[in-house]
Amino acid sequence: MITEGCAIPGIGATRFSSSSGRTALALAAEAAQAALADAGLAAAEIDGIVRCTDDVVLHNDLIETLGLPNVRFWAHGGLGGTAPSAMIGYAANAIRAGRASTVLAYRSLNGRSGRRMGSGYGCADPLSAGGEINGRFDEYFIPYGLTTPGQMYALIARRHMHEFGTTREQLGEIALACRRRANTNSAAQMCERTMTMADYLGARQISSPLGLFDYCLESDGACAVIVTSTERARDLPHPPAVVAAVEQGGAAGVQAGRTLSALMRKEPLTFPSAVVADNLYRRAGLGPSDVDVAQFYDCFTITVLIQLEDYGFCKKGEGGPFAASGVLETTLPINTAGGHLSEAYIHGMNHIVEGVRQIRGTSTGQVDNAEVCLVTSGAPPATSALILTGDR
Amino acid sequence: MNELPRPVPFTDDPDTGGFWSAAERGELAVLSCTSCAAVIHLPRPMCACGSAELDWRPTAGSGRVFSYTVVRHKMNRAFEVPYTVVLVQLEEYPDVRLTGYLPGEVAIEIDQPMLVVFESYGGKVVPNWIPQAVAPAAAPTTRQGAA
Repeated sequence: MITEGCAIPGIGATRFSSSSGRTALALAAEAAQAALADAGLAAAEIDGIVRCTDDVVLHNDLIETLGLPNVRFWAHGGLGGTAPSAMIGYAANAIRAGRASTVLAYRSLNGRSGRRMGSGYGCADPLSAGGEINGRFDEYFIPYGLTTPGQMYALIARRHMHEFGTTREQLGEIALACRRRANTNSAAQMCERTMTMADYLGARQISSPLGLFDYCLESDGACAVIVTSTERARDLPHPPAVVAAVEQGGAAGVQAGRTLSALMRKEPLTFPSAVVADNLYRRAGLGPSDVDVAQFYDCFTITVLIQLEDYGFCKKGEGGPFAASGVLETTLPINTAGGHLSEAYIHGMNHIVEGVRQIRGTSTGQVDNAEVCLVTSGAPPATSALILTGDR
Repeated sequence: MNELPRPVPFTDDPDTGGFWSAAERGELAVLSCTSCAAVIHLPRPMCACGSAELDWRPTAGSGRVFSYTVVRHKMNRAFEVPYTVVLVQLEEYPDVRLTGYLPGEVAIEIDQPMLVVFESYGGKVVPNWIPQAVAPAAAPTTRQGAA
């Protein structure tokens, strides 16, 4: 069996809020320090950095702010939510290749008080809809009022409902599953707010058929993880969360562009996640039935529903009945810290942090005997995912 | 009342500009490969077959609703809510989808027949889609100052 040879011995996060009052750099530095402390490592031991391509915090910024004297590797890890799993993969590659021994990966954003990802494109200056034209095809969308990822996912959800009979209630089960997990996680932004199906169905519509609770939160905060060799991780305080496999995937038909162009795919109801899943399971020597707990990238409820299909937990089109069958509370617990829908929106990096907690046995939504955790990163662009396991 | 004018498309991109110059001629065009005849949508600088000999092929300008959404939460100051966005698949090329904008909440059904119209605003000609049932007899038509 191929393995990445690496593990995650340290995780860190800031408080999640709607107005941090601090720079993204301050948040990133705090999360990184927390991850170092968690791993029992000193700053001098970090010799690699992986950053999300969308992060405003550069590797240089952290080298200077944290006083890292020995950085000799860095990489920039992909678009927004698609990046986090791939970022762990770059770290593992660098470690295996001898380019670094201990790598910091982070995501930091003032996603509510600063630039709001969900506000979409062409908003600041509508007359320059083509201003960022290269590869994004804004001119095919912005003049028609199709300007946000939420509107795009609404079109996908409507089509899924048409083809497969998927219902609002089935999407609601995903929102409720995440909310119940958040209600036991004191770090979750929605910890104190319970939700019922009536709340879900009664919430105002944003872009039909999606309503308020189909949308993820917008958050200020940062998460950081430390990656090192599994061998080295065994000498550190926490039992290693082993990176059993990482995959990235895209295939012809993924469509050029970033987000909205996914609507032009031949099969818009299947994400590149399906390509990632096949290779990921093969690389890990595991299958969907081995997964004890999953952290699905959940910018919207429909994003999770389609990934339930793409990652092989049910057949294409059956994501709705599957989500409503009760499995999200039993055999396939998902987003055990609350996910983007109810914990915080740290662009998929909080999913990796929570995956590590599950393997350690320290989650506030701990799954008994969790030995295999699937963590997925964002869709619809070409994406990535990883599997964490105990040290077996 | 919209706070800002409806955005105009960027029309001089070398890869996608032909779509907009066809619209100025009153044509809804798709990019196709002169070598293998594949339709390339969204437009790209070369065909997956390796050829860069591409041209814009006019279509009949009819399609069907692939999906739709009624936007109720205002996200862009140029678009007063509610409004309806349709994703239309072309009748002749079902794998080619284009976007349409209809002010207000419009009763739409998936697979509903749609016709292209050419709207002029902001100095540009912009293809848009309207339900076939409400389209004037002689389509495609041109609407002035829409939105």
